[in-house]
Amino acid sequence: MIPQDVFVAQRQPEWRELDMLLGQEKELYSHDGATISRIASLYRALCNDLVRCQGARYTPDLAGYLNGIAGRAHSALYGARPVRAFGLSNLLLREFPASLRKNWRFFLLATLLFVVPWIVGQVGTMTSPAFAKQVLPAQELEGMAKMYSHGFDEGRAAGVNAGMAGFYVQHNVGIAFRCFSTGILFGLGSVFFLIYNGLMIGTVTGWVWSAGYGHNILTFMCGHAPFELTAILIAGAAGIRMGYALIATGGRTRLGSLRGSAREIGALVLGAAVMLMIAACIEGFWSPSSLPPQVKWAASVVFTIGVTAFLLLGGRGMAPATLGSADAKGPSA
Amino acid sequence: MKASHAIPEPLDTSAEVETPEHVRFHHQLAGPARRALAWLIDLALRGLVMLFLLIIAGIAGVAAGTDLDGLTTGVMYLTYFVIEWGYYVFWETIWSGRTPGKRVMGLRVITDSGRPLQFLDALLRNLVRGADWLPIGYALGLVVMGRDKRFRRLGDMAAGTMVVAEQRHAVSDPLYIHPPPTAREVGSLPQRLPLSGDEIEALELFLRRAPKLHPARTEELAEIVAPVFAKRLGVRFRGDARRFLEVLYYRSRERTAQ
Repeated sequence: MIPQDVFVAQRQPEWRELDMLLGQEKELYSHDGATISRIASLYRALCNDLVRCQGARYTPDLAGYLNGIAGRAHSALYGARPVRAFGLSNLLLREFPASLRKNWRFFLLATLLFVVPWIVGQVGTMTSPAFAKQVLPAQELEGMAKMYSHGFDEGRAAGVNAGMAGFYVQHNVGIAFRCFSTGILFGLGSVFFLIYNGLMIGTVTGWVWSAGYGHNILTFMCGHAPFELTAILIAGAAGIRMGYALIATGGRTRLGSLRGSAREIGALVLGAAVMLMIAACIEGFWSPSSLPPQVKWAASVVFTIGVTAFLLLGGRGMAPATLGSADAKGPSA
Repeated sequence: MKASHAIPEPLDTSAEVETPEHVRFHHQLAGPARRALAWLIDLALRGLVMLFLLIIAGIAGVAAGTDLDGLTTGVMYLTYFVIEWGYYVFWETIWSGRTPGKRVMGLRVITDSGRPLQFLDALLRNLVRGADWLPIGYALGLVVMGRDKRFRRLGDMAAGTMVVAEQRHAVSDPLYIHPPPTAREVGSLPQRLPLSGDEIEALELFLRRAPKLHPARTEELAEIVAPVFAKRLGVRFRGDARRFLEVLYYRSRERTAQ
């Protein structure tokens, strides 16, 4: 065994070189080939040195120094690959619908948890206004009725209403993501937010309907609903799926089971997020526009058919191995 | 030399990673305080971007008359939505696990197995942020982190990631014993030292640390330890306790170097 100081003196130039190469804060793929080879061989030599250092019981600060460089080199060498548009589009256009079909039971459950309270809210409000006031403050309900009382003959561009639409976009996206994220609490959060939001929306539409503006609010919603409501349901389904993975572990640890389904869940959420972006653009600019209701409803039919066809047919014929490959190594794209 | 010894999982804030080269090294885990600071920096950056856009929109609004108001507000909300939900996913994907705030604080998100994280990992861990935030101010996330050995919040658990601190240690200066021990000094110690590897390591650590300590403090510490060693070796030492430890260390190295 050679003394620590001799060891350091021998090896330090290479450590410094590696430290310097890593210190340039460039991702690995933006270096030229020769440099990458150099980093790789310096890293392997450093790993060797680290083992020698641990074996020879050199001082902890030296081990810490080598450890630090090894950690950074490992991060740089393993995995730093450019984000490829192909991987993303494949994930979105093929894996997302395939994974939704695979988890159709969760989607169905999410739909029921959302639609039933919606109907309860709508019917309850239309039969007794007192019901609505139990759910939402009267002031807010009046505001909603007023907002939809004008129709959209003049469009919204003239008023503050486009701003309001923007606010609701932000709000609704928040709802969808919350429906997903709280699923980590064994699915309970997703269940709660699906029921809660179903009841809210049902109450609002019921109230506006009772006030005689049902046509206005439905015409407003018909454009973005195919994207937005579906996305909320998918996000909720992904949340429940996450909770289910934590409960029905199939003999693995809870987190191991969750890791196993992470890729599917990730594909669902990514799809929901993109659908929400589309919904946001429609809700911000198309829905409040002054186009005649016939055009909006025709567009709604087209959107609905498009979304349904995509979710039913997208990614069919994909090699089944792709979906099942979410293993302990976790998701990647 | 002990080739390898089974080390029990240390009670420490580090996570062990085994590389494909079969080398184990440790990542230093980042605690809540450092991560909160990184979060604040990122929050400030997002705020600045929004403020900048608001000013631009304000100027554009004034220039174009008030007609654009509604449209501008709509665009602003859309931008807010993208920044709010996309900021972390974007940076953590293109910078393999770092945001500007994390970069300033020297933090990086990596997967449990030590690989850099990728798009889906970043998406999952940052969407589940919503659950960590509950009921307010990352309260739930903080509790979960406190109970986890690797300081993972719920989002980290869902995505299989952890946040580590990238440390930069310096190599300590070579250890010189000045003036070099004389043959008489070395000869006064037994040839076979009844010292364990841990004791010699402790001795070396102390001597390497000595230049950074105040001389009086060094002397004080040496005077506590030196008599203990002297008694064990059955020798008597006179005078300089630190000198005694240096010679002792030299003697132990002399043996292992052969």
